[in-house]
Formats: sequence, C-alpha cells, structure tokens
Amino acid sequence: MGNNTVNTIMKDNMTTNNVVNTTTNTVTNTQRNSILSVKDLHVSFSTYGGTVNAVRGVSFDLKHGETLAIVGESGSGKSVSSKAVMGLLSKNASIPSGEIHYDGSNLLKLTDKEFSKIRGSKISMIFQDPMLSLNPVMKVGKQITEMLFLSGKIKKKDAIAKAAQLMKAVGIEDAEKRFHQYPFQFSGGMRQRIVIACALAGEPEILICDEPTTALDVSVQAQILDLISDIQKKRNLSVIFITHDLGVVAGIADRIAVMYAGKIVEIGTCDEIFYDPRHPYTIKLLAAMPDMDMDGSEELISIPGAPPDMLYPPKGDAFAARNDQALKIDFEKEPPMFPISETHFAATWLLHPYAPKVELPPSLQKRINKAKTESKKG
Amino acid sequence: MFKYITQRILLMILTLFIILVMTYFLVQSVPGGPFADPTIKPAVRAVLNRRYHLDQPIWMQFLQYLKGLSHLDFGVSIKVQPQADVFKMIAARFPVTIQLNLLSNLVILPVGFILGILAALKKNSIVDHSIQIMVVVFISVPSFVLAALLQYIFAYKLGWFPITFSTARHMNLEKLLSMVLPVLALSFGGIAYIARYLRDELSEVLNSDFMLLARAKGLTMRQAVVRHALRNALFPLVGMILGIFITVLSGSIVVENVFAIPGTGRLSLAAISSNDYPLVMANVLLYTAIGLFARLILDLAYGLIDPRVTVGGGKNAE
Repeated sequence: MGNNTVNTIMKDNMTTNNVVNTTTNTVTNTQRNSILSVKDLHVSFSTYGGTVNAVRGVSFDLKHGETLAIVGESGSGKSVSSKAVMGLLSKNASIPSGEIHYDGSNLLKLTDKEFSKIRGSKISMIFQDPMLSLNPVMKVGKQITEMLFLSGKIKKKDAIAKAAQLMKAVGIEDAEKRFHQYPFQFSGGMRQRIVIACALAGEPEILICDEPTTALDVSVQAQILDLISDIQKKRNLSVIFITHDLGVVAGIADRIAVMYAGKIVEIGTCDEIFYDPRHPYTIKLLAAMPDMDMDGSEELISIPGAPPDMLYPPKGDAFAARNDQALKIDFEKEPPMFPISETHFAATWLLHPYAPKVELPPSLQKRINKAKTESKKG
Repeated sequence: MFKYITQRILLMILTLFIILVMTYFLVQSVPGGPFADPTIKPAVRAVLNRRYHLDQPIWMQFLQYLKGLSHLDFGVSIKVQPQADVFKMIAARFPVTIQLNLLSNLVILPVGFILGILAALKKNSIVDHSIQIMVVVFISVPSFVLAALLQYIFAYKLGWFPITFSTARHMNLEKLLSMVLPVLALSFGGIAYIARYLRDELSEVLNSDFMLLARAKGLTMRQAVVRHALRNALFPLVGMILGIFITVLSGSIVVENVFAIPGTGRLSLAAISSNDYPLVMANVLLYTAIGLFARLILDLAYGLIDPRVTVGGGKNAE
C-alpha cells in the first residue's frame, strides 16, 4: 500500500513539475524531460538463507543531462538498482515487480539479446575497481573498440584511430602506442580512464557510475571526478552516480537520492539534501560527517545500531530502530513519500502535519548556516 | 632469452644426473637381483654375475655405467630380453606408448573442455551436478581398475572390442578398435581433472568484474564468454596439459599390461619386476627427460601466450 502512495505522489509531482516549471529558476533540472524512469522496482535474491529483499520499491526519474547521485551504505540496494537498470543482475536475482522505462519501452520486458543492443550504445556503466574491470589479457585498445567492431560500426583498420580518439578524450597521452598495451601496464587511475573510454565507445546517453572512485586514492579520485563531469558536459550525458561518499556527491550531483534498506528515503536537489535534510537518516548521515571547523570539544555524531537484515525486512520505517526520534507509527506503518518542495521528497512520518517538529543536531545546523552565508557572499 | 634457455638446459642436465644417481643406487639396493632365483646353481649364478659385472663393487659398476652413457651406450638387457640393446628395445616400443598417449590427450582435452565449460555455464543445475558426480568417480577410481572393468564389460562380456591390443604393423580397423578401450581407460582421469578444474576456473572468471564491463559494453553473454571468459580460464589449463601427459604416461605402465600392449609402460614393469638394472635405468631416464623437457617447453610457451609473463625476466614491459 505504501508503495502505491509513493507512486501516486511521484506521479502527481512529475505532472506538477511539468506544469509549474516556469516558476522555479534556481533549479534547472526540474524542467528537463526524464530519459529514464524507474517505477516501484523490487529486486530479490534467492540464497541458501532465504530470499533477500535487496530493493523494495525504488522509483526515480533521471532527467536529460543531469547527474543523479544515489547515496547509501553497503547493502542499501544502490548497486543492485543500477545493475537492474543495466539488466546485469546475477543469476539468482529476480525482479518480482517494477518497471524501468527507457525510450518508450520497459527494459524489464526485453530479452537478454534485445537488452544487449541497449547496453553500451544507450546505457553504459563503469565499475568500482578498475584493477578488476578490464580483461587482463586483452590489449586495452581492443577492449575499448571491441563492441564497435563487433556491431560493425567500424572496420578493424579504423579501430586504432577510434580508440586513440577515445583515449585522448579520457586524458590518456600517447594513445597510438598505448593502444597495444595490456591493463597491467597502466596505473589504477589510468585503468579507470580506460574503463570510461570503454563505456563511452558506444556513445551512450546514460552513464551509470557504480562507485567509480572508491578504489582509487584521493588525488586520483579528484581527477576521475573531474573527467566524468567534463565528459558529461561535452557529451550531454545523463549520469547516475552511485556512491557512499557524501563528499564526492557534493561536487558533482544535481540531485541526490538517499537509499536505506532497499528504499529511497529522501530525494531532492543537492542543495535541498545538504541544507534542508528531512529524513532522520539523511540528517544523521550529514551530522556524522567530520568538518574542518569542528573543534576538539564536539563529539562526532554516530548512528547507533546496524542496518536491518534484508532477509527479514522490518515493518514500518526501516530506519526506525536506529532513530531516537522515531514515532510509534514508524514501527507500524511504512511512511509514504511526503513532498517538501516540487523536487524534494522524504519518506518519514515526521513530515506528517501532526508530527512533532524536528530539530537538526546543533553542529549540523551550525554548519548549514555557515555554508548558506558563505554561498550568499560568494 | 637465450641465456635463460641455456641456464634451464644446464639445470635440466643436473636434475637428470641427480635422478640418475638416486635411481641407480635405489634399484641396486632392492633385495635379490636378476639371478636371485634359487633354482639357479651357485656356480652358474657366479658366471652370470661376472658376465654382467655384477660381482664388482657398486661404485665401480656405476662408473662403468656412466662411461657407457657418455657415448650413449645404455647397456644391454639382463633378464627381459638378454643381450638385447636397451636403447633399441625402448626405441621399438616407445612409439606405441606415445601414440596411445597422444590419442588419449585428443580425447581428454575436448571432452574435458566441453564438460568443464558446460558445468560452469550451468552451475548448480542438474547438468552441473551430474558432471560433478562423474568427475568424482573418474578421479577416485584408478585407471587400471577402469581398464579391467572396461575390458571385462565391453571386450569379454559384450565382445564389442578385442580383449588385447592388436600388434598389426599398420593401422587398420581391427587395430583401431583394439585401441579404443586402452585409450578410454587412460582418458577418464584426465577428463575429470580438466572438467573439474575448468568449471572452477571459468565460474570464477564468469563472476569477475571484467565480464560485467564486457556485458555493459553490449556484448551478448555468448560473445562475452568466448572473447573474455574462456581465454582467461584456459591459461592455467596450459600448465595442466603437461601434468595430464605425465599422468597418462604413468597410467599406461599398468594399462599396457592389462591390454597386453607392447609399449614402454609394459617394458618398465617387466624390467622392474625382474631387476633388469640397465632396462630400468633407461626407462627412468626416458621418462624423466620427457618430463623435464616438457616443463621447459611449457614455461617458454607461457611467455608466448600470456602477455603478463616475460620469460627470463627480460624487460619486455614498458
């Protein structure tokens, strides 16, 4: 029942967005049409222990040219949702319900063969560990152009030129020479650039980045993030960026979806999530981030407890057990998505008109105030 | 590269020599001797021992043996085929053994590949489980038991194949039929090893990130398996081919006896059981040399097929 509510609210709001889009001028992304829309997606895995409900009713829209960040801790279902979009779930996964609309068709209805025509050329994906995501015994140039060659888009003799062009686009010097090298002859950051080149070869419209910087060290992280946003602008890509690192998100995302226990608990523009968080999980996540301005006397907030076991998803709000502000109803009934603005939604009963008012932790409030004044000055 | 090969060959010769010394003294230390038969009169035995220099101290015999070896004289057979030149005896029988060995490799590799790939692609299905059961049976039952079973069922009871190996000089249908059972008996173990190994290796590769990327690029499952998974899964297998060759070689020692095949395997067993020292030594040297040489070829081959391996630690990498 909760899911239906979510859906209606999302739907209502989509229509309102289209109608009222002239009134907003600060947020540009709401005006764009969505290119991909995921509706009430459920994914479960059958394991020896039972059925793991990894994703339990996820809905979101990806708009043309935007970067949507999906944030959540390990096991929150963010990677699984994205793999479902790519049709690359493992064998023991099943999708009991949900729809993924792209270009007028429901991707979940496609056969694997039909899906492989969309992968790479319409929707592409890069992965967490560049050390593992390249074939160790194939020349990198061949890996980049392989699919173009297989689909007959280019001739074998043009492959080098095409690969060199792609390698230059992702910032690899000396591409003609490096075409013939193997992945082990590249550093981690370089390999991730090659992975990006592989993903871009088919000129996709959507790029899904599944924690692309997690396995890289910090200085390289920044370079890869710059590269991704640079490529996005040049090619007008729509990007789904999956991460657990809120710091990474702040720099690149237009909108942020916060996932917890297989659901999106809050979704909004970058500013809305960082400056006006509403779901207790988002609030606590933000408050748990250390800050340069903190002095030694302040204790860093941590979230008690552990995420729920998805073999037995809890009734009501999955976060209630770890939430000191949880209401009685949080344990009983799943909260619907409450709209806060046209772009901002959160699934918590605390947004109900009868709910008590929520105070942000003082350290977080202080930080938000400071950031707001700074951005006004700037 | 050249330096590396020279080093390896020198090391091979050293290894061969150590094995030669060990075998020589081990074989001689076995109680009894070629003429230990109690029905032989002591005077006759003394003459025979002198005839083959067996009355001399063992180190003298060894030096003489080495002297012979230095101009490729492997000595003469004492017991199995008295006075016959050992080298010629082996040279006459070795082609038979190698022929059977290569034939069973021709059976092992494709069948093992297909079963292994099938099991990996259909992991945890009924296909996979049946292959697994077959693998366990083939690995646990030794080849000579299978040889005897095959011979009993298909040759003796059903009469589909001849009971013994045909010694016809040229290949004909009868000879081909007589080779079927020995080749099968030699192949089961290898098939099981390859199938089990390839299943584990391939199913690991199938779950690797680069398979995901290959699929994300738009390759179909079949394209991704053929172009990315198989090659990676096959690399370690190259090393196993040598092991299988050697296993089949040692398996044929017994299987050749079951089917009365005139090869070096049967010859080795006859030599060992009759304490025919020169013949045992020559067989051991042959098998050791094959093993060492195959190892060298294999290591060199890795440098050719796997871009990550540089033979001899050269500066191939950038």
